[in-house]
Amino acid sequence: MSKNKELISKIGLRLDGRRANELRRIRCKLGVFTEPDGSAYIEQGLTKVLAAVYGPHEVRGGRSKAQHNSAIINCQFSMAVFSTTERKKRPRGDRKSTELSMHLQQALEAAIKSELYPFCQIDVYVEVLHADGGIYPACVNAATLALIDAGIPLKEYVCACTASLANNDIPMLDISHQEEVLGGPTLTVAALPMSGKIVLMEMSQRFHLDHLDKVLEKALQGCKDIKEILDNAVRLHVTDIGSSTGWANTKH
Amino acid sequence: MALCDAEKTFVLHGVQDNFRIDGRELDDYRPMELETDVVSHAFGSARLRLANTDVLVAVKIELDVPFPESPQNGKIEFFVDCSANATPEFEGRGGEDLAIAISNTLTTAYSSSLAFDSRKLCLLNGKKCWKLYVDILILECGGNLFDAVSIAVKAALWNTRIPFVKNVNIDGNNIDLDVSDDLCLCERLDIENAPVMVTVCKIGDKCIVDPNAAEEHCSMGSVVVAVSGTKISTIYQTGTGSLHPATLTESLQLGFRVAIRLNEALSKVLSRIRPDEEAGFLK
Amino acid sequence: MFTTKAFIKKSKIGHFLKNVREHYIRDDIFCGVPSCETCHPVESHLSSTYKNVCCLFKYNHYLILDTNVILDQMDVLDEPILENIIILHTVLKEVKHRSLPIYKRLQSIIDNPSRHFYVFTNDHHKDTYVKQDDKELINDYNDRLIRKSCSWYMKHLPGEIFVLLSNDAKNRAIALAEGIPTLTIKDYIESVKDNSVLLDKLAKKDIHVETYTKDIFPPHLSNVELLTGVKNGKLHQGTFRASKDNFLEGFVNVDSLEDPVLVQGRSGLNRAVNGDIVVVEIFDKKEWVSPSDIVLEDEGVAEEGIDEIELKERELKRSKKIKEEIKPTGKVVGIIRRKWRQYCGILQGGMDGVYQLFVPSDRSIPKIRIETRQADFLRTQKLIVTIDSWPRHSRYPHGHFVRALGKIGDQTTENEVVLLEHDVPHSQFSEEVLACLPKLPWIITEKDVKKRVDIRHLDICSVDPPGCTDIDDALHCRPIGNDGFEVGVHIADVAHFIRPGTAIDKEAASRATTVYLVNKRIDMVPELLSSNLCSLRGGEERFAFSCVWEMDANANILNTRFHKSIIKSKASFTYEEAQMTIDDKSKNDPIAMSLRGLNKLAKILKKRRLENGALVLASPEVKIHMDSETMEPLDVEVKKLFETNSMVEEFMLLANISVAEKILDEFPECAMLRRHPTPPSTNFDPLIKAGRHLGLDINVECGKNLAQSLDEATKPENPYLNTMLRILATRCMLQAVYFASGTLQKEEYYHYGLAVPLYTHFTSPIRRYADIIVHRLLAVTCGADSTYPDLLDKQKSTELCQNLNYRNRMAQYAGRASVAFNTHLFFKGKLQDEEGYVLHIRKNALQILIPKYGLECTLYLAKKGESSNIFEYNEEEQSQKAGNITLHAFDPVKVRLSLDSNNIQHEKFVLQLVSPYIEGFSVQPLGESMEVDPDKPASEKKRKSKSESHVKNKKKN
Repeated sequence: MSKNKELISKIGLRLDGRRANELRRIRCKLGVFTEPDGSAYIEQGLTKVLAAVYGPHEVRGGRSKAQHNSAIINCQFSMAVFSTTERKKRPRGDRKSTELSMHLQQALEAAIKSELYPFCQIDVYVEVLHADGGIYPACVNAATLALIDAGIPLKEYVCACTASLANNDIPMLDISHQEEVLGGPTLTVAALPMSGKIVLMEMSQRFHLDHLDKVLEKALQGCKDIKEILDNAVRLHVTDIGSSTGWANTKH
Repeated sequence: MALCDAEKTFVLHGVQDNFRIDGRELDDYRPMELETDVVSHAFGSARLRLANTDVLVAVKIELDVPFPESPQNGKIEFFVDCSANATPEFEGRGGEDLAIAISNTLTTAYSSSLAFDSRKLCLLNGKKCWKLYVDILILECGGNLFDAVSIAVKAALWNTRIPFVKNVNIDGNNIDLDVSDDLCLCERLDIENAPVMVTVCKIGDKCIVDPNAAEEHCSMGSVVVAVSGTKISTIYQTGTGSLHPATLTESLQLGFRVAIRLNEALSKVLSRIRPDEEAGFLK
Repeated sequence: MFTTKAFIKKSKIGHFLKNVREHYIRDDIFCGVPSCETCHPVESHLSSTYKNVCCLFKYNHYLILDTNVILDQMDVLDEPILENIIILHTVLKEVKHRSLPIYKRLQSIIDNPSRHFYVFTNDHHKDTYVKQDDKELINDYNDRLIRKSCSWYMKHLPGEIFVLLSNDAKNRAIALAEGIPTLTIKDYIESVKDNSVLLDKLAKKDIHVETYTKDIFPPHLSNVELLTGVKNGKLHQGTFRASKDNFLEGFVNVDSLEDPVLVQGRSGLNRAVNGDIVVVEIFDKKEWVSPSDIVLEDEGVAEEGIDEIELKERELKRSKKIKEEIKPTGKVVGIIRRKWRQYCGILQGGMDGVYQLFVPSDRSIPKIRIETRQADFLRTQKLIVTIDSWPRHSRYPHGHFVRALGKIGDQTTENEVVLLEHDVPHSQFSEEVLACLPKLPWIITEKDVKKRVDIRHLDICSVDPPGCTDIDDALHCRPIGNDGFEVGVHIADVAHFIRPGTAIDKEAASRATTVYLVNKRIDMVPELLSSNLCSLRGGEERFAFSCVWEMDANANILNTRFHKSIIKSKASFTYEEAQMTIDDKSKNDPIAMSLRGLNKLAKILKKRRLENGALVLASPEVKIHMDSETMEPLDVEVKKLFETNSMVEEFMLLANISVAEKILDEFPECAMLRRHPTPPSTNFDPLIKAGRHLGLDINVECGKNLAQSLDEATKPENPYLNTMLRILATRCMLQAVYFASGTLQKEEYYHYGLAVPLYTHFTSPIRRYADIIVHRLLAVTCGADSTYPDLLDKQKSTELCQNLNYRNRMAQYAGRASVAFNTHLFFKGKLQDEEGYVLHIRKNALQILIPKYGLECTLYLAKKGESSNIFEYNEEEQSQKAGNITLHAFDPVKVRLSLDSNNIQHEKFVLQLVSPYIEGFSVQPLGESMEVDPDKPASEKKRKSKSESHVKNKKKN
C-alpha cells in the first residue's frame, strides 16, 4: 500500500550499500584558494561544497551597521546552477538559499568567538558544487574548516549532520539525496559536538515524537564522528604547512 | 586590489622593458592546470586554474524547441556566475555586470556556425533540439578571466557527451523521444573550431597577454580577441581607455598569434587527458 | 571503498537528466554458506544437510540463478523441491525492475527458512563487484557480475559445488568457458528425480515449431502501429470483455465511445482474453451487426484443426439477423497489455497424451492448452493454470500448470476456488506479521491502566450471534440522575495492537476485512487478536474504546464522550439468550436491568430513525447448518431475528454516527466516512413498475417517501409481498462506500439507507480495517494517540478507501458464492417441492424466489430464444397467461427444485412448476421430497425420512 520504498534492505544495507549508522565518505581539504583569508573544500558522498572566509575586516557599507561588542558574521549561501540534477535557474537569492544563509549564520555565531572582534565583519561564503543530500551539514562543516584556515578563534568545532528514520523504525545517518526523495522525514542538526550542545535543529515532514530521541541521538553521534574527521584533516593540514615552514618537522 | 602610484609605475616600467613583475615576457602565459569531468552529474565539465584564476564549467543538456528563425539549429546558452568566494565584492548581485559581459562575449563568439555548428544539436527540424546550458562558475579572480573562461568552456564542451536518441516517435504535435539510458552510448561534440579568447592588455604603449590582477589594474584598456580556427570571430573592447587604430591592429595581431598557439596547446592537452584520473579540489 | 554509478533518466517534465549515485563496496558481506570458516556466520537459510535432487551432480550443490530463470520460471521456483539457492543482489534488483509481482513472490520464498534461499549482496562485496566497462551493455554487465560471483564462490569454497542456471545461451557459453558449471533450467529439471510436477510448471516460452504451423489467427500490429493508430483516431483502445455464453463473441469498452464495440469470430477476437487492454479497428457502418443471442460453447479438443471453429463461425453468422439492434462492430488488431492472471478450473476429460485442455471456471476465459505428465491425477483435481503465450498458429493459449487445489467438489477445494476467484488474500499470516503480535501471557500493566479509564466495575455485556468468537462490541446502561441514563458502547481496541506501518498493519490494510464463508472464516488479523486479546469475552479484562452517552428517558443525547478504557464484560450473550433475559421478569440482576434499559432506549431510537426516513430493506439471508464432522451442509434456512438484534444494531448505528461527527469535526480533510449515494431515479423503475401492477403507488422521490410507501405496501392475502417489495427496493440501491472526507462535497456524505448526513464504521475493528482507521482518528481527537503522515494524507486515504471498497465487495461476493455452493451441495441428489413467489416476469421465464432457502432461480417457460406455445406474454401487464391461469409478479407458486450437475463447474438449479397446475407444463406434486433415483422408486420414501430425522437430530446439537 504505502509507496515508501524500503530504505534499508533485509540484510541491513542502504540503497548505496551503507549500513544505517554509517556516514558517507568524507574528504576535505583546507586552504584551497589563495585569495580568501581562509578556504576549505569538503565532499560528503557526492555533495561537494567550497567555503571561503574573508576577515575579520572593517565593516563594509558604513560603520552604522557595526556592533560595538562583537563582530558581524555575514554569510552567503549559494548553489552553482549545475549543482542539482535538474538545472537551477539562479544560483542564489531564492528563498531556500536565503534561509540556508540565515541558518548557517546561526550555527556559526554559536561557535565563533565574535566578541574578540568588535566593529568588525567576518564574511563566510559557501558555494555548493554538487547537491546530493545534506547540503546544509556540508556547508556548516566546510565553513568550520574555512574559519579554522582563516585562523578565526572558535569555541569548538561546529559540525552538522542529518538523520532520518528508515522503514518507520531504524534511525539512519547522513541522508543522501536519493533517500531524501524516497524516504520520509529528515532531521538536520548542527551541534558543538565536544560539549554536546545543539545550535540548530530543523526537521522536514514529521514523525512521531517517540522516535525523535533516537533519531536525534543518531544525528549527534554523526556530528561527533564528523568532528573527528575534520579534526584529523586540520591536524594534517597544519602539519603540512608547518613542515614547509620548518617549525613542525620534529614529528617527521 | 589597491595599488599606489609607485607600484603602478613599477608595473608599467617592467612592461616597457619586456620584463613583467612576475618575470614573464609580454606574450607569455602563466601556467595553467586543466581538468575535465569534475562535475560528475553534468554531461560535460572542466576546471581551469590559471595561476590564481579558478574557473569551473559544467554543461547540462535539456530538450527544447528550435528558434523559429533557425529551425535547423540547436541552442546553446552561456551563464556566468561570479561566486562571492572569489571576492566579497561579488556578494549578492555584485558580480552581475562582469558575468553578463563574459556571457555576452561568449554568446557572440559561439554564434557563428563556423565557430560552433549547432545544427548537430537539432533532432527534428523545427520541432526538437538539444539545448546546451554552459554554466560557468568563477571561483577565484587572478586576472585574465576571459581567456580562462574560454579555454574552460572549450574543454567542457570537448568533454560533453550528448545522450543517444534511439527512437523518435512523431504523432501530430506530440513528439516522444526514446533516449538510451546507457552513458557509454553517448556522442561527442565537434569543438575543433570552438573559439579561444585572448585578452590583449595595453599598458603604456605596449600590449601584453594574460595580465595578472596587478597588470589589469594598470591597463588603460584591453581588447578580447576570440579566434575560431584560423579566423577571428569576435572582438570585444573592455576598460575605460581608448585605443589608437594602429594599436588596435597590433593588438589583434598579437591576440591572433597567441590564440593559435594557445589552441594548439589546448588540443594537445585534451588529447592526452585520461578519463580515470583523480581530479578536483582535493589535489 | 567507493564508486559511483551514472545513468540518464527522464524526469517527470520530460527532461533528460544525468543521475549519479554513490555505490559503496564493503568487506563485511559474507557468503552465507554454513560450511564456510572464513566468513562470519550470518543469518542465512542455506543448509548443509539438504540433499540434492538432481542426478547430474553426485554431490550436494548450491544453485545460483540468472535473472531470466526467475522471471520465466517463477512457478517452478515456488515448488519446494529446488532448495539451497543463492540469489544474487544484482539478480534481485533486476527482477524487481522488470516485474514487481514476481519480485514479491521471490521475496516470500526468500523469507521462508525452509526453502534455504540466501541473498548475496554481490554488488557491494569487494571481491565480486566489477566496474561497468565503457560500451558494455547493461545486460552484458549484469551477466558478467553473475559470473564473477559464481567464480568467487567457487574460489571461496573449493569444497562446495556451485551451479549456475541460466536460460541465456550466450551467458552459458561464457560461463562454461570460465569453468563455471552451467545448465539451463530445463536440463536441470529434467534430471531431477520425481520431476513430473516441475516439468508441468516449466513455462512454455520457447515453443518448438510444430509440424502443423498454419496460422490460425491474423497477426497483431506492432506496438508503434497501434499507438500511432490510436493517436490519430483510426484505432481505439479499450478493455476486452468476453461473452460468457458465446466463446466467439465479446465487447471492447472504449472510453471515448458510448457503445462498446462488438467483436465476433476467431479473427475478430484475435487472441484477446477477458480483461486485456486491446486495440480495435471499427468497421464501416454497413458491416455492423447485432450481438448474437445464441449460446456457443467451445467443445474443441486440442489436436483438432480449426474446421470446427469455422463451422461455429458460420453458425454465428447465420444467427445474426435482427437489424434494429446493430452495434458498432470491429476487430481486435493488437493487444496493449495482457491482464492474464492465474485461473481456477479443471481439465477437460477425454484426452490422452501430455497435451491437455484446461477449462477455466470463469466462462469468459478460453480453454488453455497445458503440457502435463500427470493428467490422470489432475483430472480429479481443481487446478490453477496460468497463460504463458498465445502464438498465432495455436487455437488455444499455451499455459502451464501452477498447482492443484484439491479434489473436485471438496469443501476445502471449493473454498479455495471461491477465495481465489474473488481475489481474497487468504494465505497464512507471515512470520513478519506474527512477530508483531504481543507475547503471551498478555498482562495489563500499570502504565496501561494509567492511560485508560478504568471501568471494569461497570456491568458491561456483549450480545452476538451464537458461536461468535470475535466479539467487537459490548454495551452497558445504567440510570443516572433523576430519569437519565448513561449508555456505553465499548468497542475492542484493536488499534492498540495494530500500530501504523507495521507488517501486521499492512497486512490488515491489504486484507481490509474478515471474509466469512459458510464453514470458514478468513481473518483480517491473526487469531490471537481476533478471538482472544481483542475479543471482548465475558469475564476477561480487555482494552476497549468507549463511546459513552448521557441520555434522557426519551433517548435524547445530552452529552457524548469518547475514551479508551479497560473493561471487564460480565457476560457474552447470544441474541436469543439476551432476549430471554429481557423477557424473564423474574431476573432483576444489574445485567438484566441494563439490557432492559438498552432495549427500551433502542426502541425509541429505532422509531425515531424510521420516522426520519431510514429504509428497512430486506435481502434473504440464510444460515446453513453444517455437520460438524463431515462438514456437509445439513439444512439451509433463513436467519432468525430477535428484538435484541435490532437493539444492538441501534446502538452501533448511534455510535457510528456520533464518531463520524466527531472525526469529521477534527479532520475535515481526511476523516474516513461511509456514504451511501442516493440512487438515480431510473434505478427504481422496476420497483415502481412492479408496484403499479399491484395497484400500489411507490413514491421514490426521497428516502423518507420511499420508506413510507414501502411500509404501506401490504396486502393481507399475500403477507410475503411486503418483504418482496423490500427485496426489490434493495436491488435498486447503490453500494455504500468508504471515502476520505476531503475528496467530496458535504452534500455527498449522505447515507441514503440510514437517512443520516454522516456515517462511518467504528464498531467492528476486528473484522474491518476501516474501523481501525476510524479508531486511530478518534484516538487522536481524544488525545489518546498521535497521528502519522499517511493517516492525514488525503491521497493515501483515498487509495486506502479504494482498496477497502474493492475488498469488501469481493468479500461479499465470496460469501454469497460460498452460500451458493453449499446450497448446491445440500440439494445434490434431492428433489423437493417448495413454496415460492414470482419475483419477475420475463419473456420466456419466471424469476422465482424461494424464501425458505433464500434462493432465486429461473423457471424457464420455453427454451432460450424460443417463445412458449403454452404461455402468452403480456409485456404491458407483466404477466404470463396459460389458459385461464395468469401469473403476475409476486404471485405465490409451488415449484419443484432439483440440481443440474451436468456441468460440474457450473451446477445450476432446475425448477419445474407444481402449482398452479398448467396442463402440459406443470408436474404432479411429489407429496414429499425424494431422491432422484428413477430405478428405485419404492425405496425413496424410506430413505428420505431417514435423512430427514438425521437433519433434525443435528439441528438440536
